[in-house]
Amino acid sequence: MVGSGIKRGTAELAVLSVLQDGPLHGYELARRIEQQTNGALRFTLAALYPMLYRMEQQRWIRGSWGTGANGRRRRCYRLSPAGKKKLAPLRREWAELFRALRRLTKVAHA
Amino acid sequence: MPDWQKLVCRHLSLPLDAAETDEIHAELAAHLADAYESMLREGINNSEAARRTLGLAKDWQDLQRKITLVRSGKDTMTNRVTQLWLPGLATFLLATGILALIQIAGLKPWILGKNSDLPIAVPYVWWLILLPLVGAIGVYLSWRAGGSHRAILLSMVFPVLPYLASILVVLPVSLILDKFIAHNISPMSLILALLGWVLAPAAPLLAGGLITQRFLSRRSSLDAVASR
Repeated sequence: MVGSGIKRGTAELAVLSVLQDGPLHGYELARRIEQQTNGALRFTLAALYPMLYRMEQQRWIRGSWGTGANGRRRRCYRLSPAGKKKLAPLRREWAELFRALRRLTKVAHA
Repeated sequence: MPDWQKLVCRHLSLPLDAAETDEIHAELAAHLADAYESMLREGINNSEAARRTLGLAKDWQDLQRKITLVRSGKDTMTNRVTQLWLPGLATFLLATGILALIQIAGLKPWILGKNSDLPIAVPYVWWLILLPLVGAIGVYLSWRAGGSHRAILLSMVFPVLPYLASILVVLPVSLILDKFIAHNISPMSLILALLGWVLAPAAPLLAGGLITQRFLSRRSSLDAVASR
């Protein structure tokens, strides 16, 4: 299980990455991230929605209301052009961090 | 199926406008309903699915604080300070200041029950006359900061709360623990203290406050009608 500090930093990357495949509502988004990370990233309401609202304010994602197949009203989030731009450098930063950590652990084990 | 909308509305009170609050409630309720239905589809029984769904929202206060912080840019703590504690402190200082000025000016209180066997009561009439103004100021300050009905009511009667606490809690506890306090204080004098320092001032505070609240809510509803 990943610690909460790392989770906070990776959560935004996870949301942006998953939304790159298409618009999703909050529950689907949380479920998709949980499945794709084998349960390492799991969201409560208090972790997910304030983050989505913040990302919406930053204009990285856009939310719009629609009606689902079961007639329930849902708010769907999609990646905005600003979010797409944000995703690439964010991925690079995290990849660099993980490479650095791998090097560090290799040195430590050597 | 549990009424998720009702549950979210009950647990999540947000200091945002009604439309925005409704949207957030609807979104969170839809999330919980989806989670619950998905668990039922996976073969989990009703009660276990409900329990696990509730686990997604285990800390409502945290959720409320975070959403408020993001959506209004203010923490609930900041809201509570501006809507309750500051108006309350202002009314308390004002009421205490007026009472102190009355005493410094040498205006005598009424002394009731001087010639009877009952303990005496000393109401400061000028203080009671001026207290509606204090209640009105408390209401205005809390209302302006977007206070709820409860915050407005508490700001209105805030000056009597320390007296109430001292009469109901501090004095009885002191009587038990402190050997220097006179133990011949009769229940009647406690009742008179409650009447003179809590109920009597609370009445004009409420009178001034409620009139002001009515005036302000009528004015804001007129503004709302005018802006349509």
